[in-house]
Amino acid sequence: MLDVSNLSVRFGDAYALRDASLTVHPGDRIGVVGESGSGKSMLAQALMGMVPESASMSGILKIDGTEMTRATEAQWRALRARRVAMIFQEPLAALNPLRRVGTTVMEPLRTHLGLSRTQARARTLDLFEEVGLPDPEQRLAAYPHELSGGQRQRVLIALALACDPKLLIADEPTTALDAEVAQRITDLLVRLSRDRAMALMIISHDLQVVARATRQLLVMYGGDIVERGETRKILSAPFHPYTRGLLAARPRPQLARPVPGTKRPRLPTIPGHIPALVDLPAGCRFSGRCPAELSRCRTTRSTEFRTGTGLAACHLLNPAERSKS
Amino acid sequence: MSFFLLRRTGGLVLTLLAISIVVFAVMNVLPGDPALTILGIDATDDARAALRVQLGLDDPAPVRYVQWIAGIARGDFGTSYSFGVPVAGLIAERLPLTLSLALSGTLLTLVIALAAGLYSASRHGRTGDWAVMILSQLGIAIPAFWLAILLVLLFAVNLRWFPPGGFPGWSDPLGSLRSLVLPTIALAAVQGAVLARVTRSSALEVMRLDFVRTARATGLSPARVLWRHVLPNALVPVITIVGMQFAGVVTGTIVIENVFYLPGLGRLIFQSIANRDIITVQALVLMVAAVVVLANFAVDVAYALIDPRLKARLA
Ligand SMILES: Nc1ncnc2c1ncn2[C@@H]1O[C@H](COP(=O)(O)OP(=O)(O)OP(=O)(O)O)[C@@H](O)[C@H]1O
Ligand SMILES: [Mg+2]
Repeated sequence: MLDVSNLSVRFGDAYALRDASLTVHPGDRIGVVGESGSGKSMLAQALMGMVPESASMSGILKIDGTEMTRATEAQWRALRARRVAMIFQEPLAALNPLRRVGTTVMEPLRTHLGLSRTQARARTLDLFEEVGLPDPEQRLAAYPHELSGGQRQRVLIALALACDPKLLIADEPTTALDAEVAQRITDLLVRLSRDRAMALMIISHDLQVVARATRQLLVMYGGDIVERGETRKILSAPFHPYTRGLLAARPRPQLARPVPGTKRPRLPTIPGHIPALVDLPAGCRFSGRCPAELSRCRTTRSTEFRTGTGLAACHLLNPAERSKS
Repeated sequence: MSFFLLRRTGGLVLTLLAISIVVFAVMNVLPGDPALTILGIDATDDARAALRVQLGLDDPAPVRYVQWIAGIARGDFGTSYSFGVPVAGLIAERLPLTLSLALSGTLLTLVIALAAGLYSASRHGRTGDWAVMILSQLGIAIPAFWLAILLVLLFAVNLRWFPPGGFPGWSDPLGSLRSLVLPTIALAAVQGAVLARVTRSSALEVMRLDFVRTARATGLSPARVLWRHVLPNALVPVITIVGMQFAGVVTGTIVIENVFYLPGLGRLIFQSIANRDIITVQALVLMVAAVVVLANFAVDVAYALIDPRLKARLA
């Protein structure tokens, strides 16, 4: 239902997203991971046609066969909520504080689907039921500040589901929630994706969330998709040096213990820091921080090669490169 | 909510009492002898002394203050020194005109401000935005009375669409409305320009918030996002300024009524001051202050009506 090839988002000469290609089928569950600033949200915004005004989009983005890269705002509006829907990180801020949450969820039902007030109300009650909000009747009249964090996120999920989208993008849906609630929201998203044969894209810093909820994984760095494949396989056998660094840097309880002889717990991090968008190397974005860097990495970008667990864009995988060494 | 109302009403009464003391004190240190005003310069000293006793002017100030307030509580504002009729009647005759003008001025101010401010914010950084900014700068810079004179010259003298001034009385409703059009515009243009800028910056701030992004992601039309989601959230600062401006509108009507020869409270204040009609001036100043205080009270209640979070905290 979604066909993306060589999709780029640029601010002047700086690429926030560079030549991204991916295909999404109904029922797919895709995780997107990467450090802050790696372009995860930009990818999501591009799929919604909501990149900042100062950015320019190029490449091919087909939604249900329709090319959308150069679509007008009005054409996008017809797809948002109905084909692609999105939920955001901070559920309190994402809800209009002056509106009852019932009104918020009823709005697209009435404006997009043309339901009457009573129909929209009944439909909203069903949605609240579906996303597991307790006492749906009472919740209709509640204001966002009267709900808990998990309940707010459920309201936003109900809103996103209102027009029966084929793809739901969740940008850090659980970051603002505590661990237990986060897990329940994650499981809810998976269940909805299964029940509705709806594709799900979860963007997260939290590898546990991604491991729990998704079957495919995109690893992003500096606006590039550097590795992709089955979530489980990549998490157990990462190939790309960046993915390895990212997995090694993940906080794990057993590593949080102080290393004997030192005071501080040893938390491995990827050496170096993420350069600003304009300072990224032209070739592989990770060159300069990469422990296995080759001389050509900095200037030429690698195509994707098979890794055994999926695909990775890395010169180390190039057979020509391997025969040299 | 009811506790909030009770507390605010208590505050309101205390504020008005404080104002009345200040007004009374100021009016009574001003030079001028009411007996002279009433009897004229030909009156003998004895006659003036007798009248002062009759008016209670020789009583100590606190006694006179208490008598004044007690009278007002009964609806008796005293008798005008210059007109010789009850002040309450003078005010009652002229209040509808001034209130109509103040309300229509505020209404037009709001319409101008919301339309221009929201339009400007939605065109942020583009030509439309600049046009509104420049126009509003002009509007702020122009004095209301000067704009009033321009309006009269153009629409009354040249085009003859509206009367240049005067008021036919409420028995002629259409004529009354026609004679209020130009004063309303003169009154609202300046305030509208100020408020448009407030609306614009408030809306721009709200447009950056996450829930506006949610509304856009829901596929709602820009107009709907603007009017249903941005506007209500942008309204709180706007209403604050409206409340503060209302004092300006009321004093503005005093000026405007004099430019357009409208027989409202503004004209009455002018005449009473010129006539040293202290008791009338005193009552009028208190009225104006009361109107302004009441407007601010209304603003506080409006906050609670707009924002459910505030309502919850006040309950
Ligand atoms: N309006 C903008 N103008 C210029 N650069 C921008 C703009 N918005 C985002 N960027 C840049 O685009 C890059 C990608 O940002 P994006 O928000 O997609 O990162 P992310 O992977 O979602 O990070 P995070 O995990 O922090 O959410 C960042 O370097 C960011 O600075
Ligand atoms: Mg992000």
